[in-house]
Amino acid sequence: MKKVIEINDLCYSYPDEKIALENINLDIFEGESVGIVGANGAGKTTLILHINGIIRSNNGNIKVIDMEMTDKNIRKIRSKVGLVFQNPEDQLFSPTVFEDVSFGPLNMKLSPDEVIKRTTDALEMVEMSGFENRSSHHLSEGEKKRISIATVLSMNPEILVLDEPTSNLDPKHRRELIHLLKKFNKTIIIVSHDLEAMLELCDRTVLMNKGEIVKDGKTRELMSDRKLMEDNYLECPLSLKN
Amino acid sequence: MKHDFLDKYSKLGSVIHKLDPRAKIITFLLFIIFVITTAPHDYLSFAAYAAVISIVVFLSKVPLSYVFKRVLVIIPFVLLVAIFLPFANKGPEGWTIFWNVMIKSFLAVLATIMLSSTTKFHKLLKGFELLKFPKIMIMMLAFMYRYVFILVDEAHRMERARDSRYFGGEYLRQIKIVCNIIGLLFIRAYERGERVYQSMSARGFDGNIITMNELKYVKSDMIFYIIFTGMILTIKIWSLF
Repeated sequence: MKKVIEINDLCYSYPDEKIALENINLDIFEGESVGIVGANGAGKTTLILHINGIIRSNNGNIKVIDMEMTDKNIRKIRSKVGLVFQNPEDQLFSPTVFEDVSFGPLNMKLSPDEVIKRTTDALEMVEMSGFENRSSHHLSEGEKKRISIATVLSMNPEILVLDEPTSNLDPKHRRELIHLLKKFNKTIIIVSHDLEAMLELCDRTVLMNKGEIVKDGKTRELMSDRKLMEDNYLECPLSLKN
Repeated sequence: MKHDFLDKYSKLGSVIHKLDPRAKIITFLLFIIFVITTAPHDYLSFAAYAAVISIVVFLSKVPLSYVFKRVLVIIPFVLLVAIFLPFANKGPEGWTIFWNVMIKSFLAVLATIMLSSTTKFHKLLKGFELLKFPKIMIMMLAFMYRYVFILVDEAHRMERARDSRYFGGEYLRQIKIVCNIIGLLFIRAYERGERVYQSMSARGFDGNIITMNELKYVKSDMIFYIIFTGMILTIKIWSLF
């Protein structure tokens, strides 16, 4: 199996000197679906921001699809890693849905025809065709989440990284989103507190606490370990309790 | 919460609505310039310009009550400035200038209201962009339009949170709390800006604003150009003799 993400000895602390990540070593392989879980402030979001080069640390190194994280490679890396932020209001900043979904492809300097095709395809993939001229402010939370995903799908990324994809969704829309994510056969990394959803979506789970990786293993096994989960401010999903 | 105070009637489908935003921007701008450069005593021209813009208002099907409500929002500001003119200029001249300022601003405001209420905001921006308006300004306006509602919502929520724990009295302390809310709103907006920038960077944004040209002139735009410009040009030329 091909390694798509390789993180070695990554450390990072925020400008206020609070340590956010400490000695992170993580390999992710092509086609894997990996969940990252942990308490609030465990460093999950900081970690995924590194994968896209939004945050860059001097300590440790990151390789994405055999590319080192350097100024020269960063554009290419960003087009290969689709990062969906937690809050759709941050992800969708354009006056219309079309402009938001076409933002990535336009930055990739694709031809106008290709941009339109990618945009239409991405919206179709998330079952939101026909919303092109709507303003994102008037959409429901579930619709916003879908469009947010479309904004990165239009770049045709090899790795999809999602921060809290199921937060703020009602059960029906949450279920629809899970079905949607199941359809993708790409490398997916999901950060979430929604452990039940992770159980369905991710084969592998990385457990973080205070900036460090505590455990990395099969989702089902990891989440069944009651002591491990509770020591790290989590709890076993109901469906695994008996 | 839903807000659409900026372009409330922009979704109607009248002839004026269907025009290319560029056609409206250029012709209405021309209209404003013509009105402003009209001689003070030329009341007939003013009446003619008023007739032209009334036709546009009529064709646009935007409710008259809405149009006048919008005008009423702006006129007090003009009045505030203009009211001193008769005192600054002694004799009947002062009043002439006063009426002039009022009539000209009324017509100009009417034209801008027509532009903004018959064009969806994003189309309006697109129009300005294609007319070579600086892209950075367009982007700022686009962000403003996108986030002003969210900020208003956020302010309302904070206000509600305060009210739910407010039991009256202590007037001075209330002012302090309002100031806190304003400060907090600023910080939240700032942080949101940072997150939005991150999400733009994640999609390959490197400071160059790239957009697509989606507007195309059609026959009706040309007809509008000819008729509208023709009418106001006739008024202008006629007034010169």
